[in-house]
Amino acid sequence: MTTWAPVEYTGVAELRGPLMVVRGTRGVGWDEYASIELESGEHRHGLVLEVDRDLAVVQVLEGTAGVRARGTRVTFTGSPLRIPVGAAWQGRVCNGRGRPLDSGPPVFGMTDAAVTGLPLNPTLREPPADPVLTGVSAIDALTTLVRGQKIALFSSGGLPHLELAAQVAAQAHTGGAPFSVVFAAMGLTHADAARVRDALEERSSAGELTLLLNLADDPVIERLLTPRLALTIAEHLAFTMGRHVLAVLADMTSYCEALREVSSARGEIPARRAYPGYLYSDLASIYERCGRVRGLPGSITVLPVLSMPAGDITHPVPDLTGYITEGQILLTRDVASYPHIDPLASLSRMMRAGVGGGRTRPEHMDLATQILAALARARQAGELAELVGERALSITDRRYLAMAEAFELRLLAQRGDESRSLEETFNRAWQVVSVLPRRELSMLDPETLDAHYREEP
Amino acid sequence: MIATRDALAPVVDALLRRARADAETIITTAEDEAAEMIAAARREAQAVLAEARASGTAQARAYAAVEHARARRRARRVELAAQREVLEELRGRAVTAVRSLRDDPCYPRLLERLGELARQAGGGDLVVSEHSDGGVVAEGRGRRVDCTLDALAGRAVDALGGEVARLWAP
Repeated sequence: MTTWAPVEYTGVAELRGPLMVVRGTRGVGWDEYASIELESGEHRHGLVLEVDRDLAVVQVLEGTAGVRARGTRVTFTGSPLRIPVGAAWQGRVCNGRGRPLDSGPPVFGMTDAAVTGLPLNPTLREPPADPVLTGVSAIDALTTLVRGQKIALFSSGGLPHLELAAQVAAQAHTGGAPFSVVFAAMGLTHADAARVRDALEERSSAGELTLLLNLADDPVIERLLTPRLALTIAEHLAFTMGRHVLAVLADMTSYCEALREVSSARGEIPARRAYPGYLYSDLASIYERCGRVRGLPGSITVLPVLSMPAGDITHPVPDLTGYITEGQILLTRDVASYPHIDPLASLSRMMRAGVGGGRTRPEHMDLATQILAALARARQAGELAELVGERALSITDRRYLAMAEAFELRLLAQRGDESRSLEETFNRAWQVVSVLPRRELSMLDPETLDAHYREEP
Repeated sequence: MIATRDALAPVVDALLRRARADAETIITTAEDEAAEMIAAARREAQAVLAEARASGTAQARAYAAVEHARARRRARRVELAAQREVLEELRGRAVTAVRSLRDDPCYPRLLERLGELARQAGGGDLVVSEHSDGGVVAEGRGRRVDCTLDALAGRAVDALGGEVARLWAP
């Protein structure tokens, strides 16, 4: 609703760091969005952190550098931040607050929605079902993404998690069903942001992608809004427009560091590793915005990407994320080939609901289980070989080692610009299991083996 | 002497035959080895060529993809910039149209009404004054309400929301 005569407050009592104290306010509420006009005519934005009688503490998103108390005017919008929603977001590149970065006009929509969102009504939730295919063999075959699922991508410094996230965002599809991607990038360097934009250009041009870029030098409080903005856009695309939406949130560790910084600025009591005590519920308020709703055709699948500081999976960010998400894809330096996915440490808990006859292939679950069991045996055989030498292993164990090698070379290793069809992934998976003798493939039924197993000499 | 030589002739012949046969074997083997080496070298050269070709093609494809992406981005930027210009044009025209209200006979009544609106929003204690560009500004202690014609025109364009997209819709 348009306010034709908004009240501007000119009583700026104090400026401290990113905070601005405004005096003489009336009817201002917590978390309210504010727009600030400087003496020079420049516009900035802020959020209300505290209200005490007629004093309002506003956190200025762009910081208070260059702001003078005299001549600054603050207008409160009367509600938490709302953004227009609709199809106009598709094909646009914006910053973490939704302002255009692509030289275009602001994004308009016929309706608007609060970025804080509302949790899905649990009684209307439908369990995740049907796959989101990524074109990445190791994910599609072994840790299939399921529509409505939240599954995290865990990585550590130096591994190409951003490249993999961009590849998944560029290639993912749901067969013929309408599909969109919302990519929220947080705390990225300019070089990384340029690479992500290049990788996603085609999808963006096709009008199937919304890209929100919050760069490393952007204000931290903007980083707190970015994933919420992305999910608000995704919710409208999914539940009003009936599209299947993949929301990629990269990198959530940057988000959590921003949360820690803002919490510290607010003077809150720090908890584990100085993150605020409400980190778990804050992360849940983001991840739980995925899902499917009874009676509505669309879905939101959330893929948060986390870089684990010093590769520590017990760090609060991956630890708490792991409690909320329904599985993880773990990248490791122990796998030499891109995409560096560790198949034995990765798991999609919803996979059974997304694969099988009519969805992917009838033998999908059995084949994935068989490959994982064989890789576990190969790992044991490899550890034994380190002690006694490969020649001392049984012929069968050596076949398991050969199978693990074939797995990495033929199924896992993939170029960053290579999109594999489901059929090609399955052909490669069958080549991998065909390295083992047929008698070892006890998890696959004989008819399936007759149809696909071709023992390698 | 001659008798001895004659007597040894079969041995010499045999030795010569064997030497020739050995030489032939060595030559044949050498020729075979050479042929094999040449074939191997050719194979290797072909493999190197094929690899170079594949790598060149992959590089060219990657380069073409990057160029293609950049070209598409440039094209999209031009399209979006045009939309932005159209919007700015609309904003400019709206301001001009609203400013022309100053020549309207009802303008004093409009100022009065805007003053009431500003006081309603910001409080009765605000002092209302006419702005040089048209419209009014109401100011008080720590508060201000901007009801200038330019500000009202801007708010009217913002209020159009999604309707604005009809300017560039096909």
